[in-house]
Amino acid sequence: MNREWAAILRSKWFPASVGITAALAIAGLLVGFVVLPLADRNEQFHSVWDAICSAAGLIQNAAREPVVQANYPTTRVELTPRMLRGASAESIGRGATLALRCTMCHGARGLSEANTPNLAGQYAVVIYKQLMDFKTGARVSAVMAPLVGDLSDQDMRDLAAYYAYLPRVPASRPAGEPPQIVASGAPLRSIAPCGACHGELASKPGAAWLEGQPFDYLRTQLQDFASGARRNDIGEQMRNVARGMTVAEIDAASRFYAGLRGPTGSQADASSKQH
Amino acid sequence: MILAHFWLAFAGFGAALPLGAWQMYIRSPLHGWISDPEWYYRSVTAHGTTMAYVFPTLVAMGFGYFVAEAALQRPLIGLRWAWLGFALVVIGTVTAIIPVALGLASVLYTFYPPMIGNPFYYIGVVLVVVGSWIWVALMGINMQRWKRDNPGTPVPFPMFATVAGAYLWGWTAVGAALELLFQIIPAALGLSRTIDAGLARVFFSWTLHAIVYFWLMPTYIAYYTILPRAIGGRLYSDAMGRLSFILFLVVAMPIGVHHLFADPEVGSGFKFLHSVFTALVALPTLLTVFTICASVEIAGRLRGGKGVLGWLAALPWRNPVMLGAALSFVMLGFGGAGGLINMSYQLDSTIHNTQWVTGHFHLIFGGAIVIMYFVIAYDLWPHLTGRSLDSLGLMRAQLWTWFVGMIVLTFPWHYVGILGMPRRMAFYDYSDPVIAAQAASVTMSVIGAAILVVSGALFFLVLARGHAAPRTAPPAYRFSVAVRPPRALPAALNGFGLWLGLMIALTLVNYGFPIAHLLATPGTAVPTVNVGALR
Amino acid sequence: MTEPPPPPSHDEGAERIEGIERRWAMVGIGVLLVLVVVAAFAGIHQAAMPQSRVEIVDPLRLHLSGEFIDSNLGSAVEPDGSVTVRAIGQEYSFTPSCILVPRDTPITFRATSADVVHGFLIDGTDINLMLVPGYISSLRARFETLGERYMPCHEFCGTGHEGMWGRIKVVDKAVFAQMAAGAKRVSCVK
Repeated sequence: MNREWAAILRSKWFPASVGITAALAIAGLLVGFVVLPLADRNEQFHSVWDAICSAAGLIQNAAREPVVQANYPTTRVELTPRMLRGASAESIGRGATLALRCTMCHGARGLSEANTPNLAGQYAVVIYKQLMDFKTGARVSAVMAPLVGDLSDQDMRDLAAYYAYLPRVPASRPAGEPPQIVASGAPLRSIAPCGACHGELASKPGAAWLEGQPFDYLRTQLQDFASGARRNDIGEQMRNVARGMTVAEIDAASRFYAGLRGPTGSQADASSKQH
Repeated sequence: MILAHFWLAFAGFGAALPLGAWQMYIRSPLHGWISDPEWYYRSVTAHGTTMAYVFPTLVAMGFGYFVAEAALQRPLIGLRWAWLGFALVVIGTVTAIIPVALGLASVLYTFYPPMIGNPFYYIGVVLVVVGSWIWVALMGINMQRWKRDNPGTPVPFPMFATVAGAYLWGWTAVGAALELLFQIIPAALGLSRTIDAGLARVFFSWTLHAIVYFWLMPTYIAYYTILPRAIGGRLYSDAMGRLSFILFLVVAMPIGVHHLFADPEVGSGFKFLHSVFTALVALPTLLTVFTICASVEIAGRLRGGKGVLGWLAALPWRNPVMLGAALSFVMLGFGGAGGLINMSYQLDSTIHNTQWVTGHFHLIFGGAIVIMYFVIAYDLWPHLTGRSLDSLGLMRAQLWTWFVGMIVLTFPWHYVGILGMPRRMAFYDYSDPVIAAQAASVTMSVIGAAILVVSGALFFLVLARGHAAPRTAPPAYRFSVAVRPPRALPAALNGFGLWLGLMIALTLVNYGFPIAHLLATPGTAVPTVNVGALR
Repeated sequence: MTEPPPPPSHDEGAERIEGIERRWAMVGIGVLLVLVVVAAFAGIHQAAMPQSRVEIVDPLRLHLSGEFIDSNLGSAVEPDGSVTVRAIGQEYSFTPSCILVPRDTPITFRATSADVVHGFLIDGTDINLMLVPGYISSLRARFETLGERYMPCHEFCGTGHEGMWGRIKVVDKAVFAQMAAGAKRVSCVK
């Protein structure tokens, strides 16, 4: 082995190959790190060293430029993919006690008699985020605002744990085939299938379980997202969807998730194609 | 054992091929929108994982073992280890494909962290790679032992080229292995909640480009060592062949960042440096084209061809090896031209990540490379089974249909890619006037895919008929002989020490800083997003 | 598959082979050199170069502070008359979902992802970026033709990937100036 290396090192191959490779690398480094960055008229580097550091990909924090702030309260919740998983029994118990104040509208076991959302079996993240948003005013509700004012962060986590623990609406499977807007969305209007976020196909943190929610509630929320009356969705993710939906599609999607059968669904299908 | 590798490889191929055709059909205007797009992405994951990892790795391994025995003319050293490697590939494949089939790992074969699937998917892929590393080691050991026993004699060219391919893969796979072992698998097992998506992409680019050359290796080895012999010619130049494989070994790997031209995590200087070496990697292919054309010309002239082009007419076109290689060359030419476009930052930005890219690598890999896998199978089968393959007409039909199918599939893809059609979507809205302009092209591709499925079926028919044929005693297997077989070679051309050193040094220069810097900088990791999570 | 007759193998032939090989190799190297030089030249003269800086940002806190808060997204007119477009990609839409830019104006795109890897491609142009969570992608561009174009996400980002299509609208400079006069950030989201 060593004899082989000795032969290689003596031969012309060694200096030639190493030399060519090194020359190419050095030329590439020079052009890529010095010549091109300095020739870039759009970028003002303080020095050659600054140019080299940038070209090398030295990580910089984004420059602090003045930003336009919203003139309304925005959501302050930071959603992490696994937050509020694995609640303790104590937390659920505390949540059950706290939930006594919610029964008037949301039902004794999280199943509503009125046109308020059913909370039983809802994702904990969703409950927590909406409570937080009601409290900060990011989501506006004359009814909810006074009720959440005195809730601590832990109270909200407990409530979330309790409602997530309750069984969902029995037989909440909506009737019939979903309308096209629910099953496939409308790609060119940037509407993905509802289930891609809302749990039937895949889950996105913060997206609610929709099946079995009241029709009026669902339709109002979609309308409010579309008009901008509701704007506590992070990055406008739900406003982007609702704005692209037609009135008929909003109706059809709400009917479907509310478990209602009816001719409205098929009409909505037809009109969505003409968009 | 070699036959086992080939059969498993082709079994995977046979399973993944219809998946590809199904995907093509599902997203075409011929089919309505799929009700659960997840099935589409599941299928893409299975198709990609099988075709990109399992199939070519097994072909390379099987062909490598065959070359080691036939070229060195002695039994393989480490047969038990070879079986162990095979077993790891089998276990890995099964481990990986089960979560994919269950929809727990629809992350596509390129992984795409911070999306994280079921850990068994990644563990399975790692097992496949580890199994192939055993093959890499065995190839090296077999060559070293032979050199020790035959001092001063040049290593037979087929073995030299095979070992070059093995070492290339050994080092290439390290990038993805690092990504899997240190980033993705800890996240998939829940040991880590965050991952640096940018760093993962850098690691993957280390593997992503050179893996294509690993797929290419058996094809190039067949060009050099099977084609000239099969058509009654000689290899034009042994030294040039060695040089080509050495160039592949040194420069195929440290150029992967050209896949990240549009990425935010790598500095522009490194992008330029990688594009310089990317240009260099076209050189061995140009050398190969020249050497092979010259070798084929020799055969044509030996068969009585005269004049500037007369030798072309004199070639044995009815010979499947000749036919397959010629079709492969045509596809390599088109694909290579497309590759030069991908290589430049300016041109690449029009087509990056569109259907163009899908068209490009299907033409190169599925076309130029896989058609030579068929040729290799046709050429080796009689020696592996002891039964002759006589269905020459079927073989020609199979090769032609594969060629036509691949052209009909990929040319429209290139075209819609230029129009801006994004890849890997479960459906498109063809009712929109802009997208409607692409509908006819997509339908063409469906026809291409259907032709390919027919061709795949023909391939299995040829092999099945071979297994049913009566036993014969084929003559000893021979590889091509060079016009001037080398009597002695400089040490540098008879081993890989120097070249491996250069390869590693170049990797450190081209990848060292970007990787070290991202590793050392806090704040680059982002939360993982689990796919296939239950409601 | 018969044994071919031994071809001429005297040294003269061998030298000729080596000569031809060398010339071919030189032609190949020449072609590649030209390609590299063209790339470098284009980089200098058309400003068609990859982004010059690597910047990081926390994807979970985009909406809380910094340049990617909702109200700061969209097109902003800079003091020098150029326009900066800030956008985010998320599962499964871009915000703003319709980007508005003036014609014949230097545009700087600054974009990032709030969750997984997304792609940012404007049909029929060479505007093409990867949005990798944790990093800020940027690109300079200039639009010469008016009209509306699609902006699909071109990287697999999850089950709803096929439904992630943004839009971009190129309008006349005067029209844009009029719209930008009233609001600090402009988009064509209705």
